[in-house]
Amino acid sequence: MAQRERVTTERMDRDAVSAAWPGLADPAHDSQRLFRQILGAMSEPGTLATLAVPAPPSDALGAALWGVVLTLCDLETRVWVAADLDSPALRQALAFHTGARITDDPASADFALLTHDAFDPQTPFAPGSDTYPDRATTLLVVVERLANAGPSMLSGPGIETIRALDIGDSPGCRALMDRLAANRASFPQGLDMIFGCGARLAAVPRSTRVRRADAKEVN
Amino acid sequence: MNGYNFAYLDEQTKRMIRRALLKAVAIPGYQVPFGGREMPMPYGWGTGGVQVTASILGADDILKVIDQGADDTTNAVSIRHFFQRVAGVETTTATTAADVIQTRHRIPETPLRAGQILVFQVPIPEPLRFIEPSEQETRLMHALEEYGVMHVKLYEDIARYGHIATTYAYPVKVDERYVMDPSPIPKFDNPKLDGNPALMLFGAGREKRLYAIPPYTRVESLDFEDHPFEIQRWEHACALCGSDHSYLDEVITDDQGGRMFVCSDTDYCQSRRGEVA
Repeated sequence: MAQRERVTTERMDRDAVSAAWPGLADPAHDSQRLFRQILGAMSEPGTLATLAVPAPPSDALGAALWGVVLTLCDLETRVWVAADLDSPALRQALAFHTGARITDDPASADFALLTHDAFDPQTPFAPGSDTYPDRATTLLVVVERLANAGPSMLSGPGIETIRALDIGDSPGCRALMDRLAANRASFPQGLDMIFGCGARLAAVPRSTRVRRADAKEVN
Repeated sequence: MNGYNFAYLDEQTKRMIRRALLKAVAIPGYQVPFGGREMPMPYGWGTGGVQVTASILGADDILKVIDQGADDTTNAVSIRHFFQRVAGVETTTATTAADVIQTRHRIPETPLRAGQILVFQVPIPEPLRFIEPSEQETRLMHALEEYGVMHVKLYEDIARYGHIATTYAYPVKVDERYVMDPSPIPKFDNPKLDGNPALMLFGAGREKRLYAIPPYTRVESLDFEDHPFEIQRWEHACALCGSDHSYLDEVITDDQGGRMFVCSDTDYCQSRRGEVA
């Protein structure tokens, strides 16, 4: 009897989680569609995509990054969650929808969920090694805004000439772009970032050269 | 098709390959290891390319499959049928109509456009493998950007034959960093790798490696100042469409030494002849 009660409670919890934190209605086709948008964003850095994903209850994360999590995370991945996004509901939803393991160690994370406010350049995310640069953390970052304007100019693979990207003016946003600019010096080691703002998404991988239009080029 | 997930692979496998593809795109030319699955076809028949295609393909995509440029050879026909059965996708032979093109050893003559994805089947992804058999060593050589041996290999051609005799799988440098094997495409196709608006993905099934060239990426073929990179040229034009600028196959027509040269890209040749309805 006691066991049955526990099962019932668990099921109620699960139903509550899936209702509050929606998954993909048609996992095979929805994740394929989302992946192609993410692949497009990563292969053409700075281009903006709008992801059709059911919005999570927490505005802090945003639909686009929740879509990335649902598309890419599973029980083979470790996810690091910054304190300002962390909540029991998010942890439960991650476990329920993806089975991903939450880690406290940023260096062992495949994906890191954070907001621009919480970005600290000192956080030791994995940059990969020179022999295995692919073993690096992908940062999924909530940013202030996403627009193809502003002071940050991107060039390199995936960009025909040059592309402007504006993620916001906060100290965190500036630190993120500075961190991306520093990728070149350590290439092939580096951090790849996917930015989300509501349902909008853009990506900047480590291969991209980032410079501020108002700054001199530093090599 | 009943009993199989969409596009054959299970979702867990697709996610693993998708994560590897994103890293491959982020580090152009670097070979990302992945958990290659056994596919219902033998190694050497494009299992790497098939796994990449299965991981990116959507129900709305139009797929084209070519083998040495031709849509109607065994490998191309069987892979096309495979995806028709397991994904129910529409297929085409027209380069311009395709969203995803899986290819064995050619890049189509018709220029690719932005948004298209070209998936290469790769037998041996490591360009340094015939020089250095150890994976640990070649990995270290890539890490240290130690590519001198590759130039020595090309120089040995010059010493022996007076010119660079490598005609296919001609090594390239991607975005001034990684030396990469472009798969056994003829070196005729190498210039098409440079600054191409399409995304190019490479899959090696037996060796379990993925790599990528994002759109508009600088790709240089290795050469020397006094022996610059050159592509093949023919004295003939295509016997069917008259093209004097496409890659030609030599076809033996009888046992009296008769032969003709025809375009290896069948779609290109046919559309030039106005045969595409």
